[in-house]
Amino acid sequence: MTDAEPGGGNDGQRDLELIARWKSGDERAATELVERHASALARFAVSSGERTDVDELVQDTFVRAFASIDGFRGESSFRTWLFTIERRLLIDRRRAEKRRRDNTEIQDSDSATGFDALDGMVADETQQRLQRVVQRLSPTQREVFTLRVAEGLSYKEIADAVGTTEGAARVHYHNAMRAVKEFLDE
Amino acid sequence: MNDCSNADIRDQLPDLLHDRLTVSARAVVLAHVEGCTDCRDELELLRGVLGALVAQTPRVDIAYIVGALPKAPARTTAPSVAAKRRWADWRVAAAISVLVAGGSSVAILNRAPGVPNGELAARAVEVADTQTATPSVVRSTTPVVSAKSAAVARETIASVDQDATTDAGPDGRFGGLTETQLNALLSEIERLEAVPITEPEPVTIKVNVGTPTPLSELPR
Repeated sequence: MTDAEPGGGNDGQRDLELIARWKSGDERAATELVERHASALARFAVSSGERTDVDELVQDTFVRAFASIDGFRGESSFRTWLFTIERRLLIDRRRAEKRRRDNTEIQDSDSATGFDALDGMVADETQQRLQRVVQRLSPTQREVFTLRVAEGLSYKEIADAVGTTEGAARVHYHNAMRAVKEFLDE
Repeated sequence: MNDCSNADIRDQLPDLLHDRLTVSARAVVLAHVEGCTDCRDELELLRGVLGALVAQTPRVDIAYIVGALPKAPARTTAPSVAAKRRWADWRVAAAISVLVAGGSSVAILNRAPGVPNGELAARAVEVADTQTATPSVVRSTTPVVSAKSAAVARETIASVDQDATTDAGPDGRFGGLTETQLNALLSEIERLEAVPITEPEPVTIKVNVGTPTPLSELPR
């Protein structure tokens, strides 16, 4: 997993250039866009509680994005727009999963206990502990905290991605940080 | 783990982590963090969380994702944007030319010496009346004098108008005035009172520096 993709998420101008190139028929531009943002989308998916089919979710996000690329007006960054699409897909998935669970009457926990499948991938005990702490946050706190800490998005960008206000995003972040500290002090 | 009381600095710690601060803001935050144990601990916590989130994320298969993307739009043979813009520029230029030519023609026609006497006379009376309605900043004698001027102007224009009607050519145009009539008109115009200037006249104040003058005797 590479964390520092070329250009990161801050080079919005580069994204716009690549989008323009793809629109004019350059397939390689799509590859570069995926390389720039796929890891961030995967991180967001995992930290939001998606434990399986992360590749499919990221792929669906890009497919949706490219299919409706004309709807991207550049008011937010391309990465923020991708987060918005991915978040909607996650919500759809959770609804579908809930319906399926309700139908089969199987109770499944949503947070820490279901995280065990990933434990084998993580060697460091401190990291495991931090992952569990993040999973204990409320869904909104977790989204905001992840976008702020893992992706370095501003409160404005977070507000755009999760459909809230800048002030509310700030409050969610600080509440999440307080909760994380309390969980660690337990 | 405690919270630093400086909320502004705490707010910027994730930006410091992702190197999203300006040079000056980064220097300020770093200087604070150096002397603040709480902020140092929080920054370490943020680093740990970032590392944990990265570590738990599986590697994504770029080729797998790219393979499912819709094909890029085919290159079209339609006229390029530049070519379209060039055509649009020509159209705009042509429209402007037509408008300018039409406007100039109308202006020239309006200035032609074929304007009826009555219209010119009405315009002259309007000018005279405008002079009468001089703003109140003008000295108090102005309205009387200007009213006289307006009356003289009306008489002059009426006589000239009458003469011009009788002496003008068959078309009865104002341009048919004889030289004598024009001279008479010009001399009447010269006799008209001009609107006085609105600036006050300079006032000279004499100050006696020799013997002090009582306040009651000072010129007001």
